[in-house]
Amino acid sequence: MKDSAKSVTPLAASSIPCTINGHEASLNVPPAKRLLHVLRDDLAMTGAKRSCEIGRCGACMVMVDGVPVNSCLTMAYQCSGKSITTIEGVSAQAGGIDPIQRAFLEEGGFQCGYCTPGMIISVKALLDHNPDPTSLEIEEALSGNICRCTGYGGIKRAVQKAIEWRKEAYESESIRD
Amino acid sequence: MAANAQGVAEAPFVWHPATAEEAWQLKATLGAEGVFTAGGTLLRTQWESGLAAMPNHLIDIGAIQELHGPRTDSEIGTVCFGAMTTLSEIRTSPLVNASFPLLTEAARSIAAPSIRNLATIGGNVLSIVGDSIPALLVYDPVLHWHDGSSGLEESLSEWLSTAAVHPVWKERLLLSVALTPPTLNSNTKRFVAYHKVGRRDAFTPSVVTAAFSIQLDSDNRLGDVRLALGGGQTIPHRLETVEQFLTGKPADKKTITEVYSMILEHYEPKGDAFVPVSYRKKAAANLIASELWKAAK
Ligand SMILES: Cc1cc2nc3c(=O)[nH]c(=O)nc-3n(C[C@H](O)[C@H](O)[C@H](O)COP(=O)(O)OP(=O)(O)OC[C@H]3O[C@@H](n4cnc5c(N)ncnc54)[C@H](O)[C@@H]3O)c2cc1C
Ligand code: FES
Ligand code: FES
Repeated sequence: MKDSAKSVTPLAASSIPCTINGHEASLNVPPAKRLLHVLRDDLAMTGAKRSCEIGRCGACMVMVDGVPVNSCLTMAYQCSGKSITTIEGVSAQAGGIDPIQRAFLEEGGFQCGYCTPGMIISVKALLDHNPDPTSLEIEEALSGNICRCTGYGGIKRAVQKAIEWRKEAYESESIRD
Repeated sequence: MAANAQGVAEAPFVWHPATAEEAWQLKATLGAEGVFTAGGTLLRTQWESGLAAMPNHLIDIGAIQELHGPRTDSEIGTVCFGAMTTLSEIRTSPLVNASFPLLTEAARSIAAPSIRNLATIGGNVLSIVGDSIPALLVYDPVLHWHDGSSGLEESLSEWLSTAAVHPVWKERLLLSVALTPPTLNSNTKRFVAYHKVGRRDAFTPSVVTAAFSIQLDSDNRLGDVRLALGGGQTIPHRLETVEQFLTGKPADKKTITEVYSMILEHYEPKGDAFVPVSYRKKAAANLIASELWKAAK
């Protein structure tokens, strides 16, 4: 490094503050480490799956501040001050399983299940933001999630079922209020 | 400004400058050892494919406020997109869709939503072959750089003409891309189209990426013709000879037939082992001819 850089003092250690599934966390990891490896190897949260590791399959999908990102592309420092939701957090939030997960079970939305955590994260991010998407919007939202088993038919049915259930739940809540 | 204290391969220092000047100073100091990092999505692809080694220093430009989001100059309608504006922000912005519909379409065609949540317009432009570029070229884009002095402005076309051979720009920080919406003359209709043709819908390099904007007057004559082509490793560019030829011509079969032949003659794409030059030329000529045909109907 040239002399002029000496005036810039690096911090002694990096500790990255963030929230993971609603719990405050401080990640003491190399800042360029992939979030996927932090979750799986350091935090033993193996719900996000490791596959292509270059952003092409969606198996590693998590939400950061409510939007889906590929945790294999996201570096730890990019999570600073952010709220991360993994598939483990989706089930916990719902106190059991989420209606989206139940829809995947009932509609045959998976076979081997490897793509399923990523699919569910993408569907949840979509429906939280847009509860009544068109089929084009569903296709776009899932365009980064590859499934090599189902042929997507079961996945599309599961998404439609989840939309229906969420609507029903919303309507019955509104009536109670 | 802060950084971690790792600094070994695979665990680089990550610097977080708060201003453009700090970022530029860091780059000037670190030289080739330091790399500006926006969303990091293209960089990751390059590191993983072995095209580039992970550097010892990443200069994260995410904390620099002035690089974020679109800003409108209400007087002339110019919109300045901060280099850190994500492709998702562009894809979902009603403002962008209203003024620059081709850019909205381009953003939709790049990767997938999860990648677009990280990927930035600055990173896409600086890849030199990004699929946003043909769409941007239609709107007379100007790049604003921080170069350590008073700042630098240049048109995107000008930069593209030398970017691959003169990498001097790698020492600068891209601040923003400014676009101006085309004005609509009275008694005219505007037609726009963006196409990305690939072997699959997403996740393959495109064979041809085409952006097209024309006005048609009440006599069915073409005006304000803007036509940009790219795709794969072809550096995107406007086809000025074809634009000039089309200006003032009637939108009829004769013009469309002539333009088809002109594109075959004037468009010079880069071929590869999968898609030869001749196929890319034909695909481009077909796309433009069919869009003109639709407009003429
Ligand atoms: C799975 C996948 C699919 C993809 N599909 C497409 C596609 O369909 N079409 C397409 O065009 N691209 C595609 N890409 C490539 C990439 O995601 C985009 O080009 C993206 O817009 C790059 O933006 P970024 O912010 O991630 O750039 P980064 O990776 O952070 O940076 C890219 C380059 O630009 C430099 N840089 C970035 N910002 C600045 C700045 N402000 N000033 C100076 N230098 C800067 C960096 O140093 C680096 O050299 C894909 C990538 C992946 C992983
Ligand atoms: S493992 Fe992240 S997208 Fe495939
Ligand atoms: S269920 Fe096997 S990959 Fe989708």
